[in-house]
Amino acid sequence: MHLLEVNNVTKRFGGITALKNVSLYIDSGEKIAIIGPNGSGKTTLFNVINGVYIPEDGRIIYMGRDITKLSAHERAKLGIARAFQITRPFPGLSVRENVMIGALFGTLSEKINTREALKIADEMLKLVGLYNKRDELAIKLTGPERKLLELARALAMKPKILLLDEIVAGMPPAKVDEIVDLVKNVAERENIAVGVMVEHVIRAVIRFAERVYVLDRGEIVLSGKVEDVMRNPKLREIYLGTRFKGGV
Amino acid sequence: MIKGKIIDHTSLIIMIFSYIIIWMLKTSFPEYSQMLTLLLYYIAIAQAYNIFLGMTGYVDFGYVSYFGLGLYGMALGVSYASQNNLSSSEAIILGMILSVILAGSVAGVVGGIALRLRGAFFAIATIGLSQALRYLIEGAKIWGGAEGIIIAKDLRKLFGEEGFSYATIILPDTGIFILAVATGIIMYLIRISRLGYGLLAIKEDEDAAKVFGVNTTLYKFVAFIISAVLTSLVGSMWTLKVTAIYPPESFNITFSVEFIVIVMLGGGGTVLGPLIGASIYSLSKYYLGVYLPGLQLTVFSIILLLIVLLFRQGIVGELRSFLYKHEIVRKIIR
Amino acid sequence: MDPGLIIFLFLQGLVLGSIYGIVAVGLSLIFGIARIINLSHGALIMWGAYTALTFFVGYNLSPLGSLFIAIVVGLSLGASIFYLVLRRLIGAHELTTLLATFALSIFLEEIARLNYGLDYRGFSWSLGVVKIFDYRLTYSSILAGVIALSTVIILTLFLYKTRIGSALRGVAQDPVGAYICGIDVNKIYALGIGIGFGLAMMSGVIITMYNPTGINPYLGAPYLLKSFVIVVLGGLGSIIGAYVGGIIFGLAEVVLFPLYDYLHFHSPMSMTLFTEFVILLILLLIRPYGLFRR
Repeated sequence: MHLLEVNNVTKRFGGITALKNVSLYIDSGEKIAIIGPNGSGKTTLFNVINGVYIPEDGRIIYMGRDITKLSAHERAKLGIARAFQITRPFPGLSVRENVMIGALFGTLSEKINTREALKIADEMLKLVGLYNKRDELAIKLTGPERKLLELARALAMKPKILLLDEIVAGMPPAKVDEIVDLVKNVAERENIAVGVMVEHVIRAVIRFAERVYVLDRGEIVLSGKVEDVMRNPKLREIYLGTRFKGGV
Repeated sequence: MIKGKIIDHTSLIIMIFSYIIIWMLKTSFPEYSQMLTLLLYYIAIAQAYNIFLGMTGYVDFGYVSYFGLGLYGMALGVSYASQNNLSSSEAIILGMILSVILAGSVAGVVGGIALRLRGAFFAIATIGLSQALRYLIEGAKIWGGAEGIIIAKDLRKLFGEEGFSYATIILPDTGIFILAVATGIIMYLIRISRLGYGLLAIKEDEDAAKVFGVNTTLYKFVAFIISAVLTSLVGSMWTLKVTAIYPPESFNITFSVEFIVIVMLGGGGTVLGPLIGASIYSLSKYYLGVYLPGLQLTVFSIILLLIVLLFRQGIVGELRSFLYKHEIVRKIIR
Repeated sequence: MDPGLIIFLFLQGLVLGSIYGIVAVGLSLIFGIARIINLSHGALIMWGAYTALTFFVGYNLSPLGSLFIAIVVGLSLGASIFYLVLRRLIGAHELTTLLATFALSIFLEEIARLNYGLDYRGFSWSLGVVKIFDYRLTYSSILAGVIALSTVIILTLFLYKTRIGSALRGVAQDPVGAYICGIDVNKIYALGIGIGFGLAMMSGVIITMYNPTGINPYLGAPYLLKSFVIVVLGGLGSIIGAYVGGIIFGLAEVVLFPLYDYLHFHSPMSMTLFTEFVILLILLLIRPYGLFRR
């Protein structure tokens, strides 16, 4: 049994079909990447998985249970965590409180009190290297720091699946490697499945993932082992457009 | 360890200590007694409203309705008790129970329905609700309709001529003091609990809060009910002071705004905000009434504008943000 | 039931509805452009009514002349308020603009109270009456309804046929996009809020044409509350929606009042208002974005 299965999911907005018959799966502890150009439906896919949108068609099975109609907060409690592309820290709360909220409402939820949540928050902040900024207000953090906060908050939920939206976009390459290694280490230690979504084919991300799905105009057009997909000429077409088919 | 613990709760201690000082001033200086009761009344309501408005950021312009229903609950309880020859303590308990039932059930319906709306739509719905209640009472002549309910006679009958001042001064004043303290403690406990963190997450970014596992619908609802019920209890005490209630005053949106101003002035979502906000508000209202009679509202409208433009987080909120670096300040100012 | 009465009530409902329509348009316009619920809308209506009163009593100017004065005053007041206050609040938490416009509302009401006192005032401006079967409707109220309709038509043409109009609509749709296209967004906000204020004050004058009595500093409050129902009916932000919402509202009101009276309710007026707010609540639940929107 897969940890998460997305079966033939379709999501429309008015007349636009953002996702068309999308199917994918992810196993426990596995790392996958979802790549696709801007507007290909990656964000919608994540939103359908974590319950921001309910799809018109298809089912989402998580740990053998149909969660298609569950709301976002229920899925969070079951262990589906998300770090946003456009970072959304709670601006008026401290860095520590932000991460605490992750711990308080994640999978541990009712099992821990605020004091224990604080402990988990501090652990996560040490892990991502924001511990000495713990008492700053979240709004005062820089862009890259916010991404780390986003990651710490998601990890504090002690998830089984971590969905990362473009977590490395707009970061210097050295920083990218650092974050990728960080996610890899934590994920392996705590057996978290990771889905990363990236717009461009970034080597670090590809190296990190075990399997890749390529999304184009709402459909999965390619999938499989990283090296196979990378070698497929179709990938080039998607990114460069058919005009260049013969040329490159 | 113990020392650290006490300092963690400094804001609660400051708050309760301040309330006790206000109470002691009130008993020592009878000439200021009514002004200080008014202060405690504002503190209690602002703290109750803070649990909803301050913690979630949702503006309820119809908040006065829960105060109004509290007024009606006590008035109905007292008049029923007097007609049925119940004892005076039975009358008061019945009145409080009715206040809680009325406010709780209306808040339950409104919360279950209107809390699905956000921002401006929620605000409009709450205005609609308070007005609908008022006009229903007047139009269908429920609970005395536009003539209101006058309970002075009933109180005389229940408490006797010599007990009248006990029923209309000592009892409600004590009740309001106890409610101010209780509401403060409840607010503090919420603020440091899971519920409090969930509510603050909703205020900061409701959609993100959901994704991070906060059951936003439930949390908003719980805060709304707690807030409404506490305010209705303040209303039930206030009935005993005024001894006559009428629909237009009981559901006057201006009162909602008064409460909003106090919470915002002090700082929404802070534990000490309502104390600071209510103190500044009621003292300046009192002295403006003395020195610039007739101009209070004009001055207040300007003050309100200045708060909105200059201190969006209120006095306590701004101070806390400004001094956030210092751990000691963070612990004391909440 | 008397068929003459039905026709009369229908006509009266149309006239009243047209007036309610223009009363609500300003509120909807400001929300559409700047996402601000203008809680000072009622106070501006009240100032419009006082404008008509003051110029009629002081300078013998008919309310038709006051219409223009009200528009100009409202426009400049709206633009000034935008630059002084609201500009800093665009995009902030809704709570802040609600409180700011409420503060303005109290301020305007208090100035009126200090200036004119709390007495109910009125003036008498008559153009005669028209008899519909056995019932009377004043010419001035019909004129008020027609002016309201023409204003909405002119406003719609302005929004859809002129360059400034399309800039206004552009900012309403997407302020950032409009900014990128080279539109001075602040100027457009100032203009939009100015027009909204102007319409509010103008509708105050129109109200006095329908009924030139009962002018007092708190005249605006019931109109503000009714405007909420109307704009939610027509879809917050829509001009035509607000006007059509007003017509529906006016027709409902002329039916509800006699109905509650017939049913011997203690206060038919209060019951009418009660019904209106219940309609508001139901609408917010089932169609928060208006009856006409998909």
